[in-house]
Amino acid sequence: MSPAVHSIREPESFDPERVKRDFPIFEHATDPQRLHYLDNAATTHKPGAVVDAITSSYTQCYAPIHRGLYPLAEQATSQYERARRTLQHFIGASSPEALVFTASATEAINMVASGWLKPRLCSGDVVWVSRMEHHSNYLPWQRVCRESGAELRFIELTREGQLDLDSSRELFAERSKFIALCHVSNVLGIENPVAALCAEANEHGIPVLVDAAQSVSHLEIDVSAMGCDFLVFSAHKMFGPTGIGLLYGREDRLADMEPLQVGGGMVDIVGDATRESCWAEIPARFEAGSPDMPGAAGFAAAAEYLAGLGREGVRRHIASLTQFAAEQLRTIPDISLLPHPELPSSGIVSFTHRSLHPHDLAQVAGEAGVAIRAGHHCAQPLLNHLGLAATTRASFSIYNDASDVEALIDAILTAQKVFCE
Amino acid sequence: MIAQDLYKETLLDHYRHPRNRSDGPIAGADAVARGANPRCGDEVEIGIFMQGDLIRDVMFRGRGCAICIASASMMTEAVTASSTDTTRRLCDQIGAWFGAAETATEAGLPADLQALAAVREHPARKKCVLLSWEALAEAIDKAGGR
Repeated sequence: MSPAVHSIREPESFDPERVKRDFPIFEHATDPQRLHYLDNAATTHKPGAVVDAITSSYTQCYAPIHRGLYPLAEQATSQYERARRTLQHFIGASSPEALVFTASATEAINMVASGWLKPRLCSGDVVWVSRMEHHSNYLPWQRVCRESGAELRFIELTREGQLDLDSSRELFAERSKFIALCHVSNVLGIENPVAALCAEANEHGIPVLVDAAQSVSHLEIDVSAMGCDFLVFSAHKMFGPTGIGLLYGREDRLADMEPLQVGGGMVDIVGDATRESCWAEIPARFEAGSPDMPGAAGFAAAAEYLAGLGREGVRRHIASLTQFAAEQLRTIPDISLLPHPELPSSGIVSFTHRSLHPHDLAQVAGEAGVAIRAGHHCAQPLLNHLGLAATTRASFSIYNDASDVEALIDAILTAQKVFCE
Repeated sequence: MIAQDLYKETLLDHYRHPRNRSDGPIAGADAVARGANPRCGDEVEIGIFMQGDLIRDVMFRGRGCAICIASASMMTEAVTASSTDTTRRLCDQIGAWFGAAETATEAGLPADLQALAAVREHPARKKCVLLSWEALAEAIDKAGGR
């Protein structure tokens, strides 16, 4: 990955214990000492700063935006647009107009699939996704391909679980019209070489959408350095509120995108029998309806919080914790880690147990205060490929430490006692 | 250990030593029905052997979590040598017991099945219990239609 290009405020050292105190859930949980939250790939908890930003948006700065002419409405508009600029700097975009607030990363992908790709997709064209995509970065492409008579193809994986670009030579062929892939896999935790792939796709004129939902919480995102055409993520996986996400689009791409939702706030001139409607400027064109201003305020507060922690410190903490977890899990003979490069670093460890069903394991772990995920993780194409029905997944974040890994190991040993002895 | 609240000893016994489980395809059954839960990959197959209106034998085969396997095993014991009418009523009662009905009751359920009561507190696991019962009901329908 290319190094960060914008400024990083690096604290002396990263202190997960201090970070944990920023998160009210760990004070308020029924038994805070026993809450080992390892389901961060699904959603993260919220620091007080984010909760406060949402609250003060409602209590101090709430009015309809982009239309009111009184001071409170102007303040609310400023706050909303300031949130957009905060996120612009957070992802290294060249202008705030390249950022569209959406309801989720899923909605953002659907907007690109149906609003940008579908009108230009023809029978015989090929759209590529990787084998490791979340359903949200698979089904929208599957649908537009079905509707257009185009072909959806997988970038397959090597035995180690990495993108097998050698066997996907047609990826950059003339028929290829779009590539959609995740920055980090939500099951394997593998980081894909998105910048290199974008560079090559760009040479061939093939647009790329990067799903950064699983990377944005711990990796520096710089859309300019990455060279992607579109990038999406949600706030709730990076310590922000649920119900809001972001679509970044290169401005020329957004200019060519059809708005999927029409209505209030996205139109300049409403047409009638004699003339066509004229859509509002970008990004308002893609934000029909009353926007989620408190959500945007919370989203921006989450980005500021994360930037304030120092992205490099966060990355190193998550990487070392993930490696520690992988090492500890390998000490249990019946555990197999999913295909993974030598040094897992993305906060995600998925595994199977020779005789314990993931649901039984997660249930027993849950009763010991260890929150882990069991199932197909919304990645059925990947699990089918691996010949698995379900896995158990532990995913780490900034407030986790070695004690959470130890609690996980203890929970597995307990589950073995319950079911295997 | 709280896990025992859910995983009662009876349940674990059925999981570790499933009754009427077939390792291979269920041969010679009068009707076979399958159930699957794509969310966790659990799959069961239920085969019934009829004698007039009686279910003379029931076999199951499949893979699943402890609750899924234990429920299937308990089911086979509970309905062996029962009439199809009685069995259908039991299937309905189990369905209601794990459904939304506030009035559902375990009154009259065979003793072993009471060990599943704790699963009612875990909505995500209800499907694990019901998989084999729903397949059984389907198998009875198939057998009746022959």
